Amino acid sequence: MSRTSRRDGVLGVGVPHPHRRLASISLLGAAALFLSSALPAAAQDTDPLGKLDARSRYQVELTIDSAESLGLPTRPLLLKAMEGIAKHAANQDIVSKVKQKLALLKTARAALVPVDENELDAATAVLDAGAKPEQLSEFRVRQKGRSDLSAFSVWADFIKRGVPKDEAFSAINRLWRDGADDGTFQSLWKNVQADILQGLNPGTALQNRIREGPVRVPAGPGKPPEGPQ
Amino acid sequence: MNERKVALLILTAALLVPALPGGLAAQLVSKLEAGQYTVSDGVLPFTAFRLAPNFTFDRPHARISASGSLLLTEQNLQIADGIVSGTFTSPTVYGVRAEMIGNASRAVDDRSLGSDQVDVQTRVHLLFKQHGGMWLGGGVARPWRIAVVSSADVVDAGLWGKVGESPDGFGTATFTTTFTNFSFSKVVSVTDASSASVSCDASIAGAAAPPNMTGLPALFARSASTGACERQSRFGDLEGSMRWEVGPLELAAQTGYRFGDAYDVAPDSRRWSSAMATVWLNERVAIIGGGGRQPELPLRGLPARNFGMAGLEIAYTPVSKSAVPVSMPHAVLVKDFDLRPGTGGMQKIVIHVGGVETVDVMGDFSDWAPLTLVRRGRDLWELNVPLSSGMHQINVRVDGGPWMAPPGLPTTSDSYNGFVGMIVVP
Repeated sequence: MSRTSRRDGVLGVGVPHPHRRLASISLLGAAALFLSSALPAAAQDTDPLGKLDARSRYQVELTIDSAESLGLPTRPLLLKAMEGIAKHAANQDIVSKVKQKLALLKTARAALVPVDENELDAATAVLDAGAKPEQLSEFRVRQKGRSDLSAFSVWADFIKRGVPKDEAFSAINRLWRDGADDGTFQSLWKNVQADILQGLNPGTALQNRIREGPVRVPAGPGKPPEGPQ
Repeated sequence: MNERKVALLILTAALLVPALPGGLAAQLVSKLEAGQYTVSDGVLPFTAFRLAPNFTFDRPHARISASGSLLLTEQNLQIADGIVSGTFTSPTVYGVRAEMIGNASRAVDDRSLGSDQVDVQTRVHLLFKQHGGMWLGGGVARPWRIAVVSSADVVDAGLWGKVGESPDGFGTATFTTTFTNFSFSKVVSVTDASSASVSCDASIAGAAAPPNMTGLPALFARSASTGACERQSRFGDLEGSMRWEVGPLELAAQTGYRFGDAYDVAPDSRRWSSAMATVWLNERVAIIGGGGRQPELPLRGLPARNFGMAGLEIAYTPVSKSAVPVSMPHAVLVKDFDLRPGTGGMQKIVIHVGGVETVDVMGDFSDWAPLTLVRRGRDLWELNVPLSSGMHQINVRVDGGPWMAPPGLPTTSDSYNGFVGMIVVP
């Protein structure tokens, strides 16, 4: 048996070469080192607030505890902090926005009660945009199974685009009371947005579209007229 | 219209524009600075208020901006300097992007010494996401009101890298190294004080040559076309700069060395360095201070100078803190955004955007962790995401740029100086 075949064993893998053994041990050691260093990092990655400094983290957790004791949903607060971390906001900014979110949740619940977590979160977007709590409370009465999420998202967007706050509320509330569905709100938003992009004053754009009556989706490429058979 | 009226007109416009509707105001950043400016040669020693409005119009592959400054000195109000700039960029293909830059600018040292310049430059960038890159460029600069310099050929190359992602902890630091070579003709007068024609050597000895170079032959030669004494000059600036942002503090520093023979580089412009610190008290108000040395700018006719400055900076809109030295397209590049029913109870995000390398989304559904879309075609990007029934907030970004609200969705403020799109899943 040659030196080479003895070293490699019968199938070429049986007897490890001393250098290979050393390499294997080194590889195992490196893997262990990697795992030991990676585990705390992985643990930190699963900690959503791990990137906050200790003081800010404490303040965010305190705010979340406050929400819990008030019976308010805590996930929107945690998400607000995680959003700030993802967008590299300063720690103090994140704390401030989480506290602001808690205040908005309190106001929204007082205006809308009873309400589910998703609607409560959507309502905070409207309040944050500048709507008044008493305007929000107009949406307290709703039919079973009817969602006000589209109404809220369109309302918040209109205010952000410069539609006067009272006009935005008046238009959305009117549609809501008339039983408008999600599609109607989305169509209204698309039409008004298109008008604003063409240079129309935001308030005028909304008024014009509301005056038109039933809101329709802008016509797309339709079916060609059928010719005579 | 005299200079004072122009100054007042610009001041009024700069103060009024922030009151316009959000769409336009978002394209404006104005700064009001008040500070003490001192220069070693005594050319500009005064307490000054400086108003520097900056208008920017962004399109996906173009940016036009105009900025300028007015100085309210102890004597009067005057236009200090100004620049109108246009940048056109090609789509990024495999990390390579072309850029064309045009500038028309005015620089003023004091009311009696100023120059105008038009320059055009093209650059080819190699980008490594938002974390680094390099470029090679060239162009022409045409100065006006500088009698002693003809148009210049400019060649430049640069390398940059960014370290850190968050303003907390270490913060973010950006390092840039550039080398710029200027090549131009220096012209000296061929007449003496009595308007009599003199030889090139006599003219040099009397006016332009530094003491250690006088009498050397062949520095200047009489141009056959213009009859003036000209010399082909060139020098190169090697400059390193660093910008570090940590929390509310921003530090910027640069240092440089100018290569060239003694005739083209003044002794006081061989080396220079300067530093500037900015402390943001909030999103709109900052304390600024700094000082250092600036080299001579022969193409602008501006001498080397030492400066020291301290003051207050006020911005109408929150100031972007992006330190990336390559201008990235900030306007919405995404042409179309759609949400379709996906497989396994998932929703499929479909985005159309061309000429980019990566597209990411994030939102409450991903716990605000970025998710990278998969390219399905030339400009088609898709991703299945777990979107439950209800309202969700979403952001999108291209090539690691700023997070934006996708088009075609109602948007709202994200409370972090940005916007998010709102999706309602039935």
